[in-house]
Amino acid sequence: MNGCRVLVVVAAAALLILVLPMTAAGVETTKVTIGVNEYVVLNNDIYIEVLDVSGDMGWSAQVHFYSYLDPVGTKKTLYTGDIPTEYPSGSGLIIEVTLDSVFSNAASFVIESSKKLYVTDRNAGEVETEPVAVPKLTITRTIDPNKAEIGQTVKVTLTIKNTGNGTATDIMLDEGTIAKTYKDGCPSTIEDIAAGATERIEYDLKIREDAQSGTREMPASVLNYKGESGVSDSTESQSSVLTIIPKEVLLPELTISIDPIDYVVTCGDDVPMVVTITNIGNATSEKVYVKGDLPPGVKLAKGGELEPVYESVKPDKGEEYEVTLVASEEGKHVVEMKMMWAGEEATAVFEFWAEKSGLEKYYVYIIAAIPILLILLWIIKRRREYSY
Amino acid sequence: MLNILVLGLGQCGNRILDAMNREAFGRGGAFAKYYTRQKFPASVKTIAINTAINDLKGLVDTRAKDRLHVPHLHGVGANRTLGKQVFEDNKEIIMSEIDRRGTFDLIFIITSAAGGSGSSFAPLLVRELKETYNNAPVICIAVLPFREEGSIFLQNAAFCLKDLVEEKPSGVLLVDNQYLKKYAGDIKSAYDKFNTTTARRLLFLIEALNSEMLMVTDLGDLKTVMNGGIGIGTMGFYEASKDSTIKSAILGSFKPSGLLFPTNVYKEGARAMLIIKGDKKYLDLDLITKTIEDLSTEVGQVFKGVLIQKGRPRVLSLFTLNSVPELEKLYAIAAEAIRFERERQDKSKSQLDSAFSHIEDLEPIY
Repeated sequence: MNGCRVLVVVAAAALLILVLPMTAAGVETTKVTIGVNEYVVLNNDIYIEVLDVSGDMGWSAQVHFYSYLDPVGTKKTLYTGDIPTEYPSGSGLIIEVTLDSVFSNAASFVIESSKKLYVTDRNAGEVETEPVAVPKLTITRTIDPNKAEIGQTVKVTLTIKNTGNGTATDIMLDEGTIAKTYKDGCPSTIEDIAAGATERIEYDLKIREDAQSGTREMPASVLNYKGESGVSDSTESQSSVLTIIPKEVLLPELTISIDPIDYVVTCGDDVPMVVTITNIGNATSEKVYVKGDLPPGVKLAKGGELEPVYESVKPDKGEEYEVTLVASEEGKHVVEMKMMWAGEEATAVFEFWAEKSGLEKYYVYIIAAIPILLILLWIIKRRREYSY
Repeated sequence: MLNILVLGLGQCGNRILDAMNREAFGRGGAFAKYYTRQKFPASVKTIAINTAINDLKGLVDTRAKDRLHVPHLHGVGANRTLGKQVFEDNKEIIMSEIDRRGTFDLIFIITSAAGGSGSSFAPLLVRELKETYNNAPVICIAVLPFREEGSIFLQNAAFCLKDLVEEKPSGVLLVDNQYLKKYAGDIKSAYDKFNTTTARRLLFLIEALNSEMLMVTDLGDLKTVMNGGIGIGTMGFYEASKDSTIKSAILGSFKPSGLLFPTNVYKEGARAMLIIKGDKKYLDLDLITKTIEDLSTEVGQVFKGVLIQKGRPRVLSLFTLNSVPELEKLYAIAAEAIRFERERQDKSKSQLDSAFSHIEDLEPIY
């Protein structure tokens, strides 16, 4: 591989009897290195045979445990960092095996038992005697800012750190994606990262105009890489959250309202009303037209302007004007004021009830009585004219 | 347009005047005055003059301002002497009231010859009117009483007519209640009919005098007719039936049944005026002319006027008479009544004197 490898002859088993028994609290610990397709016998009872080693999906070794009383035994894949794998021989010897490290064609195990352990036999071959240089990458991702409007661009920073002892090669970046966003300058491959080195990658994440606002989760960034030994590994970052807020649009938004003084009026009396126009938008509105639709029987009092035109109405500002109407007919009257600006329109409605005046209620009778009265007066006059 | 003054004196004159005013309202009935105006055929001013205020109040169709009460309690009680005195005392009031009506072309005085106020006022009023309105003919319509109304009324009629003739009005037209009585039922109906008939004939005459006629008769002709004979006359009237000719209509107005005073106009007529109204299709002018020519040989001068109007022919005849036999009878009855009354008074006075003589030498002992 890199010249550091030293092959030794398995037959020199004595060299490998590097049994370093460690005793702690009644637990016997021993460390053995076993080549692929080789085995050791512990206490003439338990066979530990390494079937394969692998660097994919983490370092692992496939091990076959068996004994005289358990000739079939059990095959297990041990991973570095996993909890110890227990194997009872059937004769009372129980061992707990932990994968300590993996080499190109061998694996090193820590074996613990309540009994003192001896390697009583070994089927040895060529075994790497030196540990292989293994890269270990970690990746973190930050989004700055993590809250942005539609159409804005945020900066995504990937920080990749090689905490292993080997150079990471063939690094492939599988970056998570948020719908309706565009990654500008995001690499799919990354240069080799030496052990202990840190690589910083920045790219722009542009939020498209058609993106949905809200909180969006950006899946984790996944790095696939290989070590010098060719063993593949991968790592990934935490997922990130980006809050997309709606794009602020500068638009005027006008409201119109009518504040009546009275809802019930008398026919012929003035009906004042105040029309208020307010710009609740965030932009100035140019040319605001107001149109009034007066129902039959209602007319504008002299001197008033019902349909003014305003050149502009600024945000959070408004216009107000008062007009006076006169209802000549009794009943319910609905006045509709329509306001138009920049292709938009809004309407306000004012309803009021016009009643006949107290005297007006009797107009019919009065009108009917007038000719009768005139006739009576005429008769009285003529009677007096002819009375002596 | 003629300006005509019509004066109704006393109760009888007032009522005939009221009937004229009623006729001027047309056919509207009792309520016509409340919705229409009077339409006289000329400019007619009317005044009802009376000393009895109740009689004035009893009028219906005469305006209040056309009623003049000559203040003397409640009438003169058929006393012509007192009536004359009252007139003299109130002459200025009466004449000023008349004067306020303007000037006149013709004046009618309607009065009963038998009553108190009318019979006493009429002659004196003729005199005053002649002095004041010397160009206006003054024609009196004198109503004679029922013969059985009593000696006072007969006496009043006799002396009233005498006084009237002496004052020489333009003419006196007689209306005889006695003669008309037979054409009416009860006394009220009779009076109403007298009044209405007289009023209609006067209005007929006024209309004719004021109208443009096909054959003309005018105020001058009227004056000429009224100057004929003894200045006393009367009026006749006839309305033709469907099939009658204009000749029969003219002759019908000479019949006693159409006259207001009984007389034989063929025998006693002095002058006459005929006023004919009717649809043109009924009015055969040749026949009218020939008929009037024939009448002229018997009645004397006959003036004629023809007025085209809708309806069947109606003829008003107005006569003056050379003699009035009926008036002679009236005076004879009146004189007899006066003598009888005087004898009764004398007898009563004698009886009273005789009664008083029983105590002539005595004195009251208590």
